[in-house]
Amino acid sequence: MAISSVDKYARQKSIEILRKKFASIAKRILEGKRPVLIMPKRVLSNTIYDMKKKLLLLGPEMKRRSLLDVNEARKFMQTLLMASIIYEALVNDEYPTIRDLYYRGKHTISYRDILGRLHHENTWDEQRESDAVIRDIEVFLGVLREEMLILSKEKGKVVGNLVIRSGDDVIDLSKMGHGAYAIEPTPDLIEFKDIDAEFVLVVEKDAVFQQLHRYGFWKKYKAILITSAGQPDRATRRFVRRLSEELKLPIYILTDADPYGWYIYSVFKIGSITLSYESERLATPNAKFIGVSMTDIFGEEEAAKNIKKLTSIFGKDLKNVLSKPRKKPYLSEKERKNYIIKAKKKDVERAVELVGYDVADKLISNPEIKKYIRQRKMGVSGYPWFRTPEWIKEISIFFSKLAKLEIEAMASKGLKFLADTYIPTKIETGDWID
Amino acid sequence: MSAAAPPERYRAISPAEFFYKYREIAGFSNPVRALYQAVRELVENALDATDSHGILPNIKIIIEKADENREFYRVTVEDNGIGLPPHVVPEAFGRVLFSSKYILRQTRGMFGLGAKVAILYGQMTTGRPVEVITSQPNLKRIYYFKLRIDINKNEPIIIERGSWRKNRDWHGTIVSMTLEGDWSRAKQRIKDYILRTAVVTPYANIVFITPDGEIYYYERVIDKLPRPPREVKPHPYGVDLELMKRIRDNGSFSTVKEMLMKSFQGIGNVTASSLLEIAGISPDLNPKSLSDKQLLELVNVMKNYKRFRSPTSEALSPLGEEVIKAGLKRIYEPEFVEAVTRKPSAYQGHPFIVEVGIAYGGKVPLSNDKYPTLLRYANKIPLLYDEGSDVTTDVVKSISWEQYLVKLPAPIIVLVHICSTKVPFKGVGKESIADVKEIRSEVKLAIQEVARKLRAYLSKKLKEEEKKKRVVSLAKYVPEVVRALTIILGDGRGVKAKLLEEKLVEIVSLRTGIPKDEVYKVVKSVEIGV
Ligand SMILES: Nc1ncnc2c1ncn2[C@@H]1O[C@H](COP(=O)(O)OP(=O)(O)O)[C@@H](O)[C@H]1O
Ligand SMILES: [Mg+2]
Repeated sequence: MAISSVDKYARQKSIEILRKKFASIAKRILEGKRPVLIMPKRVLSNTIYDMKKKLLLLGPEMKRRSLLDVNEARKFMQTLLMASIIYEALVNDEYPTIRDLYYRGKHTISYRDILGRLHHENTWDEQRESDAVIRDIEVFLGVLREEMLILSKEKGKVVGNLVIRSGDDVIDLSKMGHGAYAIEPTPDLIEFKDIDAEFVLVVEKDAVFQQLHRYGFWKKYKAILITSAGQPDRATRRFVRRLSEELKLPIYILTDADPYGWYIYSVFKIGSITLSYESERLATPNAKFIGVSMTDIFGEEEAAKNIKKLTSIFGKDLKNVLSKPRKKPYLSEKERKNYIIKAKKKDVERAVELVGYDVADKLISNPEIKKYIRQRKMGVSGYPWFRTPEWIKEISIFFSKLAKLEIEAMASKGLKFLADTYIPTKIETGDWID
Repeated sequence: MSAAAPPERYRAISPAEFFYKYREIAGFSNPVRALYQAVRELVENALDATDSHGILPNIKIIIEKADENREFYRVTVEDNGIGLPPHVVPEAFGRVLFSSKYILRQTRGMFGLGAKVAILYGQMTTGRPVEVITSQPNLKRIYYFKLRIDINKNEPIIIERGSWRKNRDWHGTIVSMTLEGDWSRAKQRIKDYILRTAVVTPYANIVFITPDGEIYYYERVIDKLPRPPREVKPHPYGVDLELMKRIRDNGSFSTVKEMLMKSFQGIGNVTASSLLEIAGISPDLNPKSLSDKQLLELVNVMKNYKRFRSPTSEALSPLGEEVIKAGLKRIYEPEFVEAVTRKPSAYQGHPFIVEVGIAYGGKVPLSNDKYPTLLRYANKIPLLYDEGSDVTTDVVKSISWEQYLVKLPAPIIVLVHICSTKVPFKGVGKESIADVKEIRSEVKLAIQEVARKLRAYLSKKLKEEEKKKRVVSLAKYVPEVVRALTIILGDGRGVKAKLLEEKLVEIVSLRTGIPKDEVYKVVKSVEIGV
């Protein structure tokens, strides 16, 4: 197998950093000092929403992981174990997946306790544990897993008028037939060669992606069409970010009208809590939420009613987000009846986490749900990036109607409607949330 | 003195007949109880004949099947005690209510009953006589008797007697009797009884041979005997009219004052004078001339007099802290053992001493989850039954053991010994001690005193264990860490696995205060599997 030169360079760099970092640990030990790993804390409390950059970033708090601390000793051992496996893979020109790393490092340590009883302990039990160690190593070294040539399952797909070089091959993404190009786990090693597109449309649902692809949407509207197939993986996010940053293309994101869809959008735009150390590289601050929006379903009158109820929290300024004249819904009364789905308790809880308990409490009229939420979520303040007038307006309708909708519903009204009316109108009129 | 029936009511029958009829009073209600009780009586007599007289006991107990077809058992108990003068033997084993222990001194037996009721029971169920072989230290011969009890006359019948010259310096007694019993059901009780006796007699060699051919041997582990009890005069608080009459009638004192001073402890010249003054009796009066009324007045004055010294404890024979500890060690090999002998105390004119020992860990069996395993003793006799109604049980239950770092169930034994010239037994069973305020409080103080020492020990142990556990939880990762580092840094780069390991062990040892070689032991025990 010919190894591309890009790979080689990345490998060499990672090997050096690994050696340097761990040589200093060994040095400490030989000097009789306690071995400690100092790394940024990867926890919610050390995740900061940077208002200016509009990004979720890792805060300044550091943790010291010491072999001599009973609570940290196991993690210390795991970190070194994982580092040694990654190191071996790097020098052996391998491309392990995170699952490979889990299996390679999983073994038992047998030891005897003070009474001489034999014990067996696994280095790690579940992959969740080894995955967390990989994230620790990334922040400890300041090197991302992609740079260490660690692969993960490919999830994201792309089609459009775009020619790329991947490895030593040149691929034309407009010639994929009914299929699509799977976004590789190391998108930084992709080179953009030729482009003829005006915007990028990212859809949450793989099924809707396929429908739009077959319909010829990207050809007709000069788009790059991407799906994340649910929660976006790192490669898809990085790929979208590069399209935005390097090719200066506007990015539109189309998700279900529910709390999970909204959160997917926010992950693309500002980053995620577990991977906040990667936001600078993965997030796309220009990404716009194009739909499906609650006002597209219910119209803006509903939002106007809700906003009145919220003046006690947000004052009168909230009114400015309403358009004049009020936007009409895309769905008729009858279509709405057919397509919308009743929100489940879990959905409502998740929405409260996004926008805050105070908003939910003012708007939910169903007494049972209201009580349920009061018992569970009282005092939840919501994420600052969802406490914007636009999102409050959007999510307010979810609370007052306790309804959600999947993108497929728009396609059911007619693929033609989705491709030729809904999406183009939204883009043309600038009807999105930024 | 006798708690048994007053003679005038039963004038028509002899004591032997009485106990023959009402043998269950003395514990001989059925073949199970009888076998157990017979062993007890003979063993307790053997111990009384040795340790109360400064002799380190060698005791041998043999129970054997004595008839092919019937459940007859021959019980033989041999001791190296003071023996009996030959002329006393027939009465000692053939007349109910004949005893050498009717004096104020702590002994195991005290009613002159035990051996005889056992013999009566044997005689009645098997028809076989009792055999006694005995010799005293200063005698040149060994005496042999085969006896039976004449129930109607309460008299011994000598069936056979003999004697032979001692050709070695032996003294002691061998008593052999045959009775109907139920070994299979009495087995556990008897073994328990002997074990518990062995716990408080570490100064004794005890051999026990069962009908099943098992041999139990408890070897002497200490040469120290408990201090022997001394005979004392009664304390004036315990006086009553009957006692007073007896002193008046049997004594030969020239004056009342002399009678008081010589018959009671704690009454000297001054006290005697003031007692008689309060009672309005002239000190020079001849005691024989005192009327019953005058005696009663004297008794009342003595009972209400506030300034007597508390009763002397010389009549008592506590085990002593050393003996208790040695005894618990001999049987349970505990990791912790402590004991305390409290200062003498008194209730209603009777002196008593409470002793407590606690054994923890080692071969101590696990207790139940409510309170520690309790070994109760009264005057060195183990109390096996009615644990629930004993005042010591109550006290042990009332203590919050977790305060002493004991997490129940735990391998813990609490031994409580109460000795007194009059143990306040509850009921006729003599298996549990009544709730007497003074005794309860002494028991509690004693247990607390020893339990505090246990807590100190456990807390130290806990800390040590914590420390060691911590070392294990760190040291077990050392090999993996060393391996990982040498992979990344490679041997070529001057990092030697051995040196890294050595340094890490040193760092762990320094940090935890556990010696290097102990850390090494854990590190060396580690195996990294695949
Ligand atoms: N093994 C023995 N060695 C010496 N004396 C004994 C022995 N067994 C019994 N005696 C004497 O026989 C007496 C009667 O014994 P027993 O009937 O058991 O009554 P008690 O033990 O209550 O006095 C005892 O008081 C003691 O003097
Ligand atoms: Mg006796």
